[in-house]
Amino acid sequence: MASNPMQQFTVQRIGPEIKIANIDLSFTNSSLFMVISAVVIILFLFLGSKEKKIIPNKLQLIAELSYTFVAKMISDTAGSKAKPYFPFIFSLFMFVLFCNMVGMLPYSFTVTSHIIVTLIMALFIFIAVTIIGFIKHGFKYFSIFVPSGVPAVLLPLITVIEIISYLSRPVSLSVRLFANMMAGHTMLKVFGGFVVSLGILGGWLPLSFSVALTGLEILVAFLQAYVFAILTCIYLNDALNLHH
Amino acid sequence: MKMPEDFKTRLKIAKSKIKSELDSDKQKRATFMGNAFKLGTELVAAVAVGTIIGFILDTWFDTKPWLIVIFFFLGAAAGMLNVIRAANRMQKED
Repeated sequence: MASNPMQQFTVQRIGPEIKIANIDLSFTNSSLFMVISAVVIILFLFLGSKEKKIIPNKLQLIAELSYTFVAKMISDTAGSKAKPYFPFIFSLFMFVLFCNMVGMLPYSFTVTSHIIVTLIMALFIFIAVTIIGFIKHGFKYFSIFVPSGVPAVLLPLITVIEIISYLSRPVSLSVRLFANMMAGHTMLKVFGGFVVSLGILGGWLPLSFSVALTGLEILVAFLQAYVFAILTCIYLNDALNLHH
Repeated sequence: MKMPEDFKTRLKIAKSKIKSELDSDKQKRATFMGNAFKLGTELVAAVAVGTIIGFILDTWFDTKPWLIVIFFFLGAAAGMLNVIRAANRMQKED
């Protein structure tokens, strides 16, 4: 019996070892669940948009709902200029959401509970947003570090603080998602272990906690995907509409 | 005989009203929790980034431990700035 609450996060190789130029590129259980999430998203959206009925069935309704949800989120936070980036943000939101949700199934692996996965996504967003900002505004984009209305004496200090604040974006973005997912799944496992060790007499209390925590974790899984996507929109807004 | 029918529909309307209010309350609570998580990491991340920058600069210029101390405080200031910005954004949303 796996009683170690951290054991669920171990990455294992599936199939043969693939090594290219000393980099381990083997297919792992993490990769497997990424593929599963992607396939589930594609199937869900394909089946949801296959029959274009005026009165939609349930699947089509959910697919349309997720579309309008993200579209509204983008237009609310980043304005109409961000419309070309809809495919990227929609894919990002759906991927994070489905990775989190697939991770909620028993015996599955939560891809987003590894900081390397979330950090790569956050760094990609951070670098992309910075490049978009420089393409749209040229060197004027540096003015994001210099807020208006600051006395000249304080300017060097404020600029350094602004730069640190800007650089902290990918860190906070990735750590938030990773920490939430890892903490939640560890907690579930710990309470599950309590149920087993307390047996049939005392196990009911942790079992009820476990049930409640599962509900909370599903909420957190959705919420963190939402926060990840909305912060991407906010960063994109800063890059597209420079108003400092 | 008309009364009970009328009362039933009115009861239905009132019940659905209460239910929708409860649902919106639940949704609000969910966004509050998201906001709380957001603020916490926002503060910590900036401090961590500031300290790491200080550490790197210290090893570059061989000025241990002065820059790490300075950049720790600058990072803390940046974290507070982040939190204030995030809080302002939340107020605008409401």
